[in-house]
Amino acid sequence: MNYPVWELYYTGGGLLIALIAVVHVYVAHFAVGGGLFLVLTEMKGLRENSPAVLEYTRKHSKFFLLLTMVFSAVTGVGIWFTISLISPAATSILIHTFVFGFATEWVFFTLEIVAIFIYFYTFSKIDNKSHLIIGWIYAVSALISLILINGIIAFMLTPGEWLETRNFWDGFFNPSFWSSMFFRITIALVLAGIFGFITAVFIKDTDFKEKMVRYCAKWLIFPFIFMVLFAWWYLAALPDAPKAMILGRSPELIPITKIFAAVLPILFICGLLMAIRMPGSVKKYMAFVILFIGLVYMGSFEWIREAGRRPYLIVEHMYSNSIKIEDEAKINKQGLLSTAKWVKHKEINDENILEAGREIFNLQCIACHSVGGPLNDILPVTKKFTVFGMDSQLNGQGKINDYMPRFMGTRLERLALSRYIVERLHTKTETLAKVAIKELPINIPPFNKKADEYVLLAWSKFGMHFISDSDSWWMLSPPGNDISAQLIRRGETPEIVTEEVELSYKVESGFEYPSRHVKFWNYAQDFLGKKLPLDIGVTGHGLKGKMKLVKENPAFVADRIPVVPYSDDKTFNPYPLFTIEARDKNSGKILARTRVVTPVSTEMGCKNCHGGKWRMEGVAGFSDETAGEILATHDKISKTELLKMAKKGKPVLCQSCHTDSILGTKGKAGLLNISAAIHGFHANYLTGRDGNACNACHPSSPDGHTQGLRGIHNEIGLDCTSCHGNLEDHALSLLIAEEKVGKKSAKRLMKHLVPTRVDSIHLIKPRNPWINQPDCLNCHIDFNQPDTDETFNQWTKSADQLYRSRSDDAGIMCQACHSSTHAVYPATNIYGNNRDNIQPIQYQENPYPIGSNKNCKVCHTIDMEEEMHHPNSLAMFRNVR
Amino acid sequence: MDLNALIPAPDSIPVHWGWLHFFFLLTFVLHLLFMNAMLGTGIIALVKSLKGTRQDLPIAKEISLKLPYTIAFTINMGVAPLLFIQVLYGNFIYTSSVLMGWYWLSIIGILIIAYYSAYLFDFKFDTLGSARSIFIALSVILMLLIAFLFTSNITLMLTPEKWTRYFSNAGGTILNFSEPTLIPRFLHFVCASIAIGGLFLAIIGKIKAGKENDNFEEMISSGMKWFSYATLVQIIIGCWFAVLLPKDIILLFLGGSSSATLLLLCGLTGAGTALFFGFKKRIWLSAGVVVFTIIVMVLMRDMVRAAYLNPYFALSDLKVEAQSSPMILFIVTLIIGIGLIGYMLKLATKQREVS
Repeated sequence: MNYPVWELYYTGGGLLIALIAVVHVYVAHFAVGGGLFLVLTEMKGLRENSPAVLEYTRKHSKFFLLLTMVFSAVTGVGIWFTISLISPAATSILIHTFVFGFATEWVFFTLEIVAIFIYFYTFSKIDNKSHLIIGWIYAVSALISLILINGIIAFMLTPGEWLETRNFWDGFFNPSFWSSMFFRITIALVLAGIFGFITAVFIKDTDFKEKMVRYCAKWLIFPFIFMVLFAWWYLAALPDAPKAMILGRSPELIPITKIFAAVLPILFICGLLMAIRMPGSVKKYMAFVILFIGLVYMGSFEWIREAGRRPYLIVEHMYSNSIKIEDEAKINKQGLLSTAKWVKHKEINDENILEAGREIFNLQCIACHSVGGPLNDILPVTKKFTVFGMDSQLNGQGKINDYMPRFMGTRLERLALSRYIVERLHTKTETLAKVAIKELPINIPPFNKKADEYVLLAWSKFGMHFISDSDSWWMLSPPGNDISAQLIRRGETPEIVTEEVELSYKVESGFEYPSRHVKFWNYAQDFLGKKLPLDIGVTGHGLKGKMKLVKENPAFVADRIPVVPYSDDKTFNPYPLFTIEARDKNSGKILARTRVVTPVSTEMGCKNCHGGKWRMEGVAGFSDETAGEILATHDKISKTELLKMAKKGKPVLCQSCHTDSILGTKGKAGLLNISAAIHGFHANYLTGRDGNACNACHPSSPDGHTQGLRGIHNEIGLDCTSCHGNLEDHALSLLIAEEKVGKKSAKRLMKHLVPTRVDSIHLIKPRNPWINQPDCLNCHIDFNQPDTDETFNQWTKSADQLYRSRSDDAGIMCQACHSSTHAVYPATNIYGNNRDNIQPIQYQENPYPIGSNKNCKVCHTIDMEEEMHHPNSLAMFRNVR
Repeated sequence: MDLNALIPAPDSIPVHWGWLHFFFLLTFVLHLLFMNAMLGTGIIALVKSLKGTRQDLPIAKEISLKLPYTIAFTINMGVAPLLFIQVLYGNFIYTSSVLMGWYWLSIIGILIIAYYSAYLFDFKFDTLGSARSIFIALSVILMLLIAFLFTSNITLMLTPEKWTRYFSNAGGTILNFSEPTLIPRFLHFVCASIAIGGLFLAIIGKIKAGKENDNFEEMISSGMKWFSYATLVQIIIGCWFAVLLPKDIILLFLGGSSSATLLLLCGLTGAGTALFFGFKKRIWLSAGVVVFTIIVMVLMRDMVRAAYLNPYFALSDLKVEAQSSPMILFIVTLIIGIGLIGYMLKLATKQREVS
């Protein structure tokens, strides 16, 4: 942010550091352990009076000199060069904080160079005592230089009290200093053995070669158990966050940790194998193989250590993209482009938005992501996103999966970055193919106001409802909706008829065989535990049949009718029409007939972020790509194996793990209920968006082919958030309820959610999904005209208090006269203006609630003077068209 | 574009800048001495290798034996000033380094190749035969390349006006060819190396003549010739370099600043005296005077640097967050370290004399 960014795309993502650092560290640890190896081996040679051992030591010291003086020393400087180029800001902090630590280390470097030169060049030329002294000076200097650099490296992972005191000694003697020091010393000893093999296998005398190879093997084997113990200590000494990061919080790290763990026993076994007598060529080959395995070991360890710091370069001080955490708030307020120095486009406009996006990309992303390169390539991980999806990903980045920093900048900058990634890096242009929506016929049955004896009212339980047709991958919502009906015998005192009548329902033609369009029946056994005959739902209802009387309401109900929005003519229709008929049980004569839609849509907007296209006609339904991607993401974040199971032919029901009161599943202990989980998680990614957050997933988008929010409230300008609050509030109310019953995972999702409807989280009232809902009477106090258009935090106490469960004073259910939730009369349906208003038009030739505008005649056959049913029922309908 | 808005904010330092500046200049002088010896003797060895006569080859061989040392200590003595320059001028040098990122980083690979090539020239001097010239040539050419890249970085660091080129090239491939002082500054260092290389060669000859029975007159004479002629050329290059400096900076040395002018006079006097002693083949006197001159030159160079950066920055701008105990640690370690080095050298040489 302070410094210019070196625009490395292919070689970005830390590749240069990885390459140079791993090779340096490997040889440098040898430079330490090898120093001790030299003196101890020389002492062994003197002790055994063995010129052969001494000659081996001399030859080994030449190898040592050539490797460490040149390669190790220069690559060490190479790391320094590289980090200065990749993150000058972090390097500057290290240099300025530890300048005299580095300077002291340099004194020991100088001692090492003088010592090793003298050691090699005076071998056998000066007295043994002096020669050994030189060797020991080298060994001790090398050890001290390792200790010094280790303190600084450990500081980056565990700065400890330095964060408060900024004191050199606090920073140096930090929480992981001692454990890492001992760990590295044992590595150095093990490497002394590994590199010793390289010179030992070239000894010409076979017996002597075996002796020295075995000697080197001891160097590998004996420190090994200590190395493992110290590694354990090192991990244990870490604070929670880096420890968690290493133990799987950063999914990319898991394969590296596995390699590290796997290499340990392999290395040990190789050491043992080298002690066995083998042909010379085999041993030479093995020595180099072990050398390579050692490199893999060292590389995986350093990789783990570096990645344990995520999302920081200096933990809790500076992020991986060189931005200090103390600057985050300022950047979010002022913008990244105006805060950073080396920026050409300080302000975003229509012409420069993509170029500005590129600059933001360079500042925030390329520290860890290459573009098309081998390390952490940004292209595959962002391939699935639309601009909306990319923007949402950035919105939620780092909030739940905190191995990445959060996006820093204004919303416009976030959009610029999203557009850059999608439109420039992926060269995707979004074309909105407009599919025309055809008006569909409704055929309203006739009604004779004077002669007809009955009024038949019917409605769907859910006015806006989506189902998932991703059955071969997973299921969230099975096909279907419920239809309820009440039959009213007209007269001065009308009566709700429940006896001697039979109510039946039948779907319109083209929808009778949903099994032709969705795979639900292939997996019903897996999902719901029972095998279902084709086109029959869990309660035994099919697409046509008889309705059952539910005495409590009282009303006739056909529940879980497995209807889907796909017609045999291959079109999408989320409002299939049902014909309801009431017959005399004995004579079979038709007493009344009406029609009603059962909203059921597969316009679940997951593809907006999870990629893929609509399956059906370009307007709805889950493609395999989208459905699979959702599982892959769930697997990555929650460490599940859902994708593997689905591919094996065993897809799961989401609610088998996450409880759901609607489906009646118990789920797994400790996991959030499905609504809290899904809203709680996604709310982090969709903040500050009003109703657009809801439209991203639910079939309420005004650009979609369902437009399920279609009742009078929508017509007068309310949206989802008017009753349900913004997504953040909605999610918090669910999560708080879960937290109260002791579910720990709620906290992780809540951490970054900020309520918008109330001032603080503590003011949010907990709610359970489907049961505690906003209610009409929150605004329509005493059934009167509201003086507000917003409600939040006021929930129904129990399921029987819900709008869809209640009745009026006469026993008529609310939805009978006012229609289903989200489609309250008068509704506007995009498939034909009155598709949702069939009964009002049938019975009273207007789209308003049954009996409105003092039209009590509909059921009562005469005008009524007294107010009944509910307060204010004799008022005139306010929002006439 | 407001350049001050581009220059990154510096981090604070733990002691008064004077300490860091002192260590910086001291270690830089040491680095220069070793670097001059390394590059200079390398160039001389290349020439002698190519000539391949009976007088030249032994001298080339002698140099080959010393190259591993001079290279090792050049690098090691380079680490310290590189550390201190980052503490004092980090916000400038990190920036210029990023602008030439790929070139700057390539130095590492180039140096490793140059280093191993020199070892081959040393260890395989006899067995390679005339092919040895390839390795010393490779080594020298790569070292010159490194010197050029360093010069590019150092000059770019001092001229923030050039930094806006980043906005048309952020890929790390900017070199400072448009800088008028680039070539003369580079040549000034190379020529200095040749001079010191020759002097170093003469010193080796002189010491060996005192210890061994062979004739080292050729070595001494050749060395002093290289030293003298190179110093002569060096004075000319120095003037060329000076003339191309920005006018206001040259004027500092021509009366504008009393300390700068005094330094220039000392420097010219030193150079002239060194030249005199050089042609007279007075080795130790030349060495003494030339070291003095180098110190003066380094101080002048430091003043030039300060003058370039003056519109933007002065060392006194650096904020101090005092923590002196680490510096004490360093000074104590340094003293002990010097003592140990002396001790080790004594151990190494004492026995040799005895045996």
